[in-house]
Parts: sequence; structure tokens; C-alpha cells
Amino acid sequence: MNKLLQFLSKSKTISSCGDYKTPSLVIEVKDYLEILSKIKKSDIKLRYIVDITKDNVNYCKELIKFADEVRHLDGIKTNFSVSESEYIASSTLSQELYSPEPFQQIIYSNVPDIVEQQKYVFESFWNKAILAEHRVREIEEGVALGMTEVIQIPSKTVEMFVSLIKSAKEEVLLLLPTTNAFFREEKLGIIRYLRDAAVLQGVNVRILTPTNDVITKIIQNMENDKLINFVIQVFEPASDIKVHTVTILVIDKKESLVVEKKDDYKENMVDAIGLATYSTSKPTVISYVTIFESLYNHAKLYEQLKIHGKMQDEFINIASHELRTPTQAVLAYSDLLQNHPEQRDAMIDAIKRNAMRLQRLTEDILDVTKIESKTLKLYKEDLDLSILLSTIVNDYKNNAEGREISDIILLDNEANGKHYIINADTQRITQVVTNLLNNAVKFTEENKECGSISIRLEEVKNADCQEVIINVKDAGTGIDKEILPRLFTKFATKSTKGTGLGLFICKSMVEAHNGKIWAENNKDGKGATFSFSLPFSKYRD
Amino acid sequence: MSKTVKMITNNKNKRILIVDDEPDIALAFKIGLEDSGFVVDTFNEPKIAFSNFKSDFYELLLLDIKMPKLNGIEFYQRMKEIDKKVKVLFITASEIYYYEKIVKEVFPLLGAKRLLRKPIKIEVLVRSIKQELGLFNNNNNNNESHSEYSLSS
Repeated sequence: MNKLLQFLSKSKTISSCGDYKTPSLVIEVKDYLEILSKIKKSDIKLRYIVDITKDNVNYCKELIKFADEVRHLDGIKTNFSVSESEYIASSTLSQELYSPEPFQQIIYSNVPDIVEQQKYVFESFWNKAILAEHRVREIEEGVALGMTEVIQIPSKTVEMFVSLIKSAKEEVLLLLPTTNAFFREEKLGIIRYLRDAAVLQGVNVRILTPTNDVITKIIQNMENDKLINFVIQVFEPASDIKVHTVTILVIDKKESLVVEKKDDYKENMVDAIGLATYSTSKPTVISYVTIFESLYNHAKLYEQLKIHGKMQDEFINIASHELRTPTQAVLAYSDLLQNHPEQRDAMIDAIKRNAMRLQRLTEDILDVTKIESKTLKLYKEDLDLSILLSTIVNDYKNNAEGREISDIILLDNEANGKHYIINADTQRITQVVTNLLNNAVKFTEENKECGSISIRLEEVKNADCQEVIINVKDAGTGIDKEILPRLFTKFATKSTKGTGLGLFICKSMVEAHNGKIWAENNKDGKGATFSFSLPFSKYRD
Repeated sequence: MSKTVKMITNNKNKRILIVDDEPDIALAFKIGLEDSGFVVDTFNEPKIAFSNFKSDFYELLLLDIKMPKLNGIEFYQRMKEIDKKVKVLFITASEIYYYEKIVKEVFPLLGAKRLLRKPIKIEVLVRSIKQELGLFNNNNNNNESHSEYSLSS
């Protein structure tokens, strides 16, 4: 104790380190508290590093009152003080927590070299330690406030960058500012590593990067399509996303590393980067997550908008081709009619045919508009499905307009003569069946050797509902494999005639009746079967 | 009517081949062009037109662009290998910007000058063909460009 008092009396600055037991000792041992009080009243500058824990937090708060500055260092296990010319160390390890016993062992030195060494040790700890007030708040408010550190040495940043990526357990978010930054990461093996982490460890990886032809090719070669937890989302310069200056890396939503770009033309990351900020502070890390997410969503939306724009373009082009073609015929024959009375009937037929084609197309475009604006209205009533189907087939044959129609057979055998009552819009169900028949006839005409078209009913009952399935089977050319996956989407056609809207409309109509529609090529390799289901309420009495 | 008679004299025996997958349109164009004195053959399937094509037989081809299996541009590329002299007019019902790149980059290589747009009036079609064949005084034809797309526009 005397040694300690002597030490204090000669010092102007005192730098002390203590483990988690120290705060209780210095507050509880009367002599130490007196020493602290003296220091407080004197000009002596006291800095303290301790391990602040849940158990000693109240003692630490007392200690803060006596020292000029207290810092916290996780798990520190040393007890020493160093002044300008002296060093004194003690042991608390064997001491009981909160026992009001003074230090039992003391090591003292005034050898300048030793003092200098210990000063250095203290300063190293001091720089790593965080503010005591900060740590106290962390404990008392139950939140991990973390810390933020500026890294000045690029090699250290790169090392940290790699080790952070390797430490990821759940998620990696990486925003790259330039195409060159992508190439630097690629060179470091980061992109490949992240893909492996996604595949082997199930880490969710999202990379946001600007792109060029080379990067697009690299991404394609990685076959990322097959992975749901590894996404490289590209953003284009035109998309208004402008992050030219920093690389942002966020690991498991707990740690962030933001690296400033110094010289984008350098090939190696070490040469290209400047200052970096590493943080475990929740508000900081979450801010970077938010920045990443909003840019990521922005890039995705922009991409969707582009696809949408392309589809709109495509729609306008197809629609205008389909509108102008019959219009051309109508106008040309109207022109020619007066000079060719001998061909009057044929020309009027052509005008009528093309006017009807125009009308059908107009209806289709109107339907699509209604479907997309969600303003489609159905006029439902209870209908006998079998009667409706035979009416549709008869009308279809009568309106064949001179075309060769293959036999259409309405098969009733599996329904066993049952009459299903469906609650549906007659016009819309007729539209669906007619459309399926049109397709069946069209593709049967292309394959002239084939036979008839059949409509067959099938009943499905399960716990929730009872449904009737209407199967339209043909023996035509079958569905093109390229078209099959997008058969019911808009413009899915390989034909140069037609808008490719028919099946899209059918799907929407069936779904509006709470049914489903699907199609497959027949197992015997000849033709296809289109099926749709409709709920039915009862059988006709 | 006297104007029509004069045209017939001018256009006599000029053979034109129309390839358009829309039979109604091909026939209407054929009737309209025959009224102006041209001799016209039509095909609705480009592949059949191709196999029936006779070299040094036609003065001009009137080709629809969007056709199944072989489009109008491809069709003409093949024709030029057989018949270097035959002239061409393309016509389309599609949006014109769709073919803007082709008009700028491919047309000069093919020696094609114009892309006509459907719907087109028969008289404008006749005039365009005559102009292409050098049968018409260019100065009289300045007011008809609203229905066609030329390289100079």
C-alpha cells in the first residue's frame, strides 16, 4: 500500500489496467477509495482500462466518477499502472470477487526500459478499448452497441475483407461500385468463394454490381440460375444507381466494412483502395443493409421495368401487325370493288372475313385490357355443362366458314351421362372452348393425316370441392417444346399469324371461374390435350 | 380512266412477283397491279415461291417481311444469288421502328431502297412500283411519302 502511495505521489499521469475484479476492489477497499479521491482532487490525470461486465457494472460507474477517462476491453486479465517513470503491477487472479482485501502481490519497477515497454502495452490496449459509458449503456439497455473503427492500412483492410467473408454464416451483402471493382474481387477469388459458400454452407449471398459484356459472360458461366441463395444483381449506368465511391460489405447483418475507392484503374485491391470503416455498431450496420436493400430493389425494379417495356413494345408491334393486315384487305377490296363488278361476291366475302378478323382481334385486345386492369366482369348463372358443350360444338361446326373441320366428338362415356351444373358465364366458357377448338383445328390442319378432335369430361372429387375437367384432345402437331413453359402467357406463339393472346385470355377466364387450365403433349406422341377444370355445384336432377 | 389506259401501255409485260402469306392481301394487290397493266404472280408460301422462282423473269419482287419459315428479307437474299438484276419493294404491317436497323444496315447491302407500310392504297402501291422501275417521273411523286419509309427519311 505504501509503495502504491509513493508511486502516486510522484506521478502526473497514471495509466491503469484492471481485470473484471478491479472495479469492486478499488471501490470497496477503503484505502484505495481514498487514493482515488485524492487523485480526483489533484492534477493527476488518471486513465483506466477495465473489463466491464454485468456483475461489476455498478462499481464501474463509480470508478468512472474518479477517473478522467475509463475504457472497456473485453476479458482483459492484467493489473498494472504506469506513470512517466514508474511501473507497478499487482495480482487479483487468486482473489475472491468483491473481497475487500488489498492486493497481495506487487511488482514494481522504475527501470526506464521496463516503464517504456509497459507504457507501450497500455497504449495498445487503450487504442483497442471502447468508451466505458458506451459499454455501460450496452449492458444496461441490453443492446450490443458495437463499435466503429477506421482502418488506414489497405493491406489490413484486404485481410479483414477476406476474413469477414470467410466468417459469414448466414448472409453476405456485397455492393461493388465499378466494373473494375468486380474484376478485382474476381481476381481475389472472392466471387467464386462466395458462390461456394452459398452452395456448400447455405450462406445467402447477394452481390450488386455494374456490368459490362465480360461480367455478363462471367455471371452466365457461373450458372447462377440454378441457385436461389446466390444472386448477382446487375445495375446499369442508365438505371440512376450511382455508387461510384465505396464498396459495401455486410456480414450476417452484424458487421460492415465500407471501403473507399482511391484509384479504380489499379488491378489489385490493395492498390485501389483508401480508407475503410469497419463497424459492429447496430445502427451503422443496419444503415448499410438498408442502403444495399434499396439499391438492390431499385436495380431489380429497373430490370423488370425494362422487360415490361420490351413486352409492351412487342405487344404494340404484334397488335399493330394484326390490326393492319385485315385493315389492308378491307381497304384494298373496297377500292377494287367498283372496277370489278364481276368479282363482287368474292370481294364482299373477303371484306366480311377480314372485318370479322378485325372484330375478333379488337375483342381480344379489349379482354386483355380488362384482365390487366382487373376490370373483367362475369355474368354467372347456373348452366348445364353438357348442354353448353354440345351447343358450342354444333355452333362451331356450323360456323366453319368453309374450312375443313376435322371431326369433333363429344365424349360422354366417362361422365356416364351425368349433367354437371356449373355456375359460370356462358359467353366466357364458350370463348374458352372455342379457342381451344380453334387451336386444335389449326394444328390438326398442319398435320393432315391425323384424325379427330375429342372433348371428354372427367370428374374429380376431393375433400374441399368437386370439379369437372374438360379435356380437348387433338392428334395434330403437338405443342412446340420452346413454347410449352410459357404457353399461357401473352404473345406465346411461333405462328406469324395471331397475337398469341388466346391462351392467355383462356387462362384468365378459367381462373376467374376458380378453375385451372393446363396442357400437355399426348403420350402416344400425336397431338396435345388441353384441359381445364371448373367447380360444379350439383348434378342435374 | 384515260390515265389508267396510259399506264397500261407503259407497264405492259412488266412482270411482278408478290409473296405475302395473307392470301386476301396478295390477291387484292395482284388485281390492283393487273389493273395497271402489270403481269403478276402471287405466292402465299415463301418456300414454294422460292422453288418456283425463275431467273430473269420478274422485273420486281413485292415482298411481305413477316412470313412463316422464310421471311421476306431472307427470301430476297436468296433470290439475289439467282437473279442479280431483280428489283425489290418490301412491305410490312409491323411497326416501322421494328425494322429500322434492317432498313439502315441490310437494305443498302441488298440494293433495297424502300419499305412500304400496310395499309397502303392501291394507287400508292402502283406509283411506288413504277418509281422503283423507273417508269414514273420522280417529280410528280413527292406527295405520297406518308405511306412509305425510305432511306432518306
